[in-house]
Amino acid sequence: MIRILISVLFLGLLATINSTAQHRCVNPTRITLVETHDFSPVYPAVVYVEALNKAFETDESGSMVLDSLCDGSYIIRIQGTGYEEKQTTISLKGRKPVKVKVDYELHALHEVTVKEEQKNSLIQSKDNLGKNALDDNQGKTLAGMLENINGVTTLSNGATIAKPVIHGLHSNRILMLNHGIRQEDQQWGAEHAPNIDPYTADNITVLKGAAGVRYGTDAIGGVVLVEPKPMPAQTGWGGELNLAGFSNNRMGVGSFMLEHAFKKNPALSLRVQGSLKKGGNYRIPGHWVANTGLQESNYSATAAYQKLHYGTEIFYSNFNTSLGIYKGSHTGNQNDLLNAINSPVPLVQSDFSYDLERPKQHIVHHLLKAKIYADSRWGRWDIIYGYQHNFRQEYDVIRQENGKAQLNLTLQTHTLNINLDHKKLFGLSGQTGIDVISQDNRFQNGDRVFIPTYQSRGIAGYLVERYHLKNLMLEAGLRYDYKGYGVYNPQGNNQQIVYYEFNYGNASGTLGLKQQVNAHWDWNLTLANAWRAPQANELFSAGLHHGAARIELGNKDLQPENAYSVSFDNRYAVGDKLYTSVSLYSQLINNYIYLIPGEDLLTIRGYFKTFHFRQTNAWLNGADLTVRYDWNNYLTSTVKASVLRARDRKANDWLILMPADRVSFNTRFSKNLSEKWKNMFAEVTGRYVFRQTRIPGNFDEIDYPRPPRDYFLLDAALGIQQMVGKQPVNISLAATNLFNIRYRDYLDVFRYFLDQPGTNMALRIAIPFEFH
Amino acid sequence: MKPLIFSHALSVAAFSLLFTACKKNDPPIPVEEELITTLKLDVTATGFSKSFIYKVENGFGGSDSGTVVIDTIALTPNTTYNVAVQVLNEKENPVEDITAEILEENEEHLFLYNANPATGAGAITFSNGSKDDKGAPFNQTINFTTGAAGSGSLTVYLMHLPSDKSGTTPAAAGGSTDLEAVFPVKLQ
Repeated sequence: MIRILISVLFLGLLATINSTAQHRCVNPTRITLVETHDFSPVYPAVVYVEALNKAFETDESGSMVLDSLCDGSYIIRIQGTGYEEKQTTISLKGRKPVKVKVDYELHALHEVTVKEEQKNSLIQSKDNLGKNALDDNQGKTLAGMLENINGVTTLSNGATIAKPVIHGLHSNRILMLNHGIRQEDQQWGAEHAPNIDPYTADNITVLKGAAGVRYGTDAIGGVVLVEPKPMPAQTGWGGELNLAGFSNNRMGVGSFMLEHAFKKNPALSLRVQGSLKKGGNYRIPGHWVANTGLQESNYSATAAYQKLHYGTEIFYSNFNTSLGIYKGSHTGNQNDLLNAINSPVPLVQSDFSYDLERPKQHIVHHLLKAKIYADSRWGRWDIIYGYQHNFRQEYDVIRQENGKAQLNLTLQTHTLNINLDHKKLFGLSGQTGIDVISQDNRFQNGDRVFIPTYQSRGIAGYLVERYHLKNLMLEAGLRYDYKGYGVYNPQGNNQQIVYYEFNYGNASGTLGLKQQVNAHWDWNLTLANAWRAPQANELFSAGLHHGAARIELGNKDLQPENAYSVSFDNRYAVGDKLYTSVSLYSQLINNYIYLIPGEDLLTIRGYFKTFHFRQTNAWLNGADLTVRYDWNNYLTSTVKASVLRARDRKANDWLILMPADRVSFNTRFSKNLSEKWKNMFAEVTGRYVFRQTRIPGNFDEIDYPRPPRDYFLLDAALGIQQMVGKQPVNISLAATNLFNIRYRDYLDVFRYFLDQPGTNMALRIAIPFEFH
Repeated sequence: MKPLIFSHALSVAAFSLLFTACKKNDPPIPVEEELITTLKLDVTATGFSKSFIYKVENGFGGSDSGTVVIDTIALTPNTTYNVAVQVLNEKENPVEDITAEILEENEEHLFLYNANPATGAGAITFSNGSKDDKGAPFNQTINFTTGAAGSGSLTVYLMHLPSDKSGTTPAAAGGSTDLEAVFPVKLQ
């Protein structure tokens, strides 16, 4: 309807122009084209002036000069890649400059979102796994995928439970943002992996170092951003089928995604996605590991209504997993643990099985997200609400099977973020907003003691501003957080409930500097800080850790941790073959919470070591280095190295449980063989992990045995994309630990009892499709 | 596949219920399931009957032990006694007798006895331990034969899911230790 109206208007205007275009005047007028949405200059674009039958090109400021038209109205047609084609009329009067608004093209919109996200994310040491990397690693745990990023290692419980470690920090010191919502899924201990389905991600970014200003409390070690594929902008159907099979634990994984944008209403799009995973006992060289199977089933759905200047999105996801835990890891007392450590073979022997027995975990995580965005004269507003419901059940080994879990924890979290990306103001661009969070954590009557029931709430306000000075970008940010807890702690011989309240407030800041010196060289420098309040387990835990046969005792006097980090990244290309990236960081964490051994405690199972939460000042220094050399168009070699030195400043000693230094080498050959066979690749990766020798002087009192010895592993992969008609089919075959090497890793909790998994072959198939 | 769909349907139902049934209730009370607090040795011989107690009030996993009671096993040298073990949870009221449960699952349990010194003055030796339903060692009842006058110690273990029931030490028998009680011994 509108289109008809416009064309009628044009016809009318054409008539007037024809009458005025008779005379020639010399009236230079500047015409500037700006994007309606973000006021960026429209460049490059061609402006066709009907009256002159002539085309002009805009310059970098989106401007052009018309110098041969008299006052009056004229029709112009604007064309530019990425912009909606536009026909409009302009009125010229004297030499008054004219501004014309042009919209981004609709299907270029997701590009805009990407651009915007780049703009929004802080100047920070970062790395990411794109769609191809995620496809190459599909079926792995989220932490297993992130291990490909230099500076990221994993803390694991065997092969199936793993969480990421960024620059030596993990769990409560790392923040995960799943689809823009901070993931709240009870990451109390090493045996609690993040409850996120990596198949919902299209891109995973890791921000290394403190990033508290934009992302809030707990972002001390870094942030993991799990980002979905943008909703389809092109009408029609699209989707992807992924299948993977693993030899080691005979695991099968499948995922399917289907999306649709409506022809009649292209702003409206829908997506559904689901994945299934089932694996059995995994195998270490020479042995099956009893009761280490897993089952996972996840699904999600998204509905989006996206117009150029406003839109809304609703996302729901359900993560559902059951995990078996190696039977020999739940030890009765210190002697049992010692026997397990000293045994040359796993104490609990087993055959292959898919069955899950006690001890096991069952977790269901729901996430509901609602988002609204709109442009205003101030800039772009985003309002994001998230609700998470996490239900964790732990089934202990008991004498009489009663079908019940001994731990039934429910954590509910509401989050709200209101953010304004304001329009340029005095040359400053930036964002400001508030974050609100409310949590309720409870266990069920009759559960074993673990985490007390508590409620918490938090509110924060932030402001981040950026300023461009030629090729230099400056950034500064400020935030203030308040966080409060109300804890109902059962204590004493009769487990009487005592109520405690804690309130914390903290300011954090960031300063960033980034320079694109030339096409070969850029660097950034970041000064940042972040904080976190002590967690409920650190304040109140009073219980036995079955895996480590020790009793951990909380400390109600703990103060918040405060981290200050400085990081410097330098990326430099020597010629067009050699590429280098160096990242140096230094981080000071005041009131770093850690465990120290205390007196032995007598129980009915004998004496146990007790551990108390204490605070010190930690100082972590490290470097990540990447060097890539392109031998020719097909062959590339990469060397990555990562080192970390972590000190306890008060004790003037090393910190315990820090990842050892490591180096990896990769050589990859890739080539398009023909129209039908594309993206063929073959690669070999070698990983060498040093023995961690930098351990506290009192290590033998705290932990036994000493960190495991160094190891070298070889991985290999082969893959190709076959075109079946127009349909691409990606197939790859990969092997990890190719030579079935026996080794243990210091950051694997099962290092006491078990070797790491042996050879694992993975066959992966990915079929992306679309019908328009 | 069916149970999977079912569990999903259930979880969605639970999820939608949350919005309606989110009222705050009283904080829950934790309970240590299958808690053992007490080991009791009922020792009898002709003209002799006595019980020795080893008790840690809070069992295990708490932040402190609570009241601890450890009797000294005082017996006559060079004598054979009949011994029966009782396992109790005295946190419960009335006291929960766990012995019956262990007897029922005798194939999954094993009592072990270790004396220090193993022979000579102050030692106890063991014989005639009871068997489980499959005829393998179980030792819920056993004979103690005391050595010459002197003092020493006796450790009683209850192993759960031992891998080798013929083992006479926890390391040899395997499984996880449900109970470890160390009594002082006085033979006079």
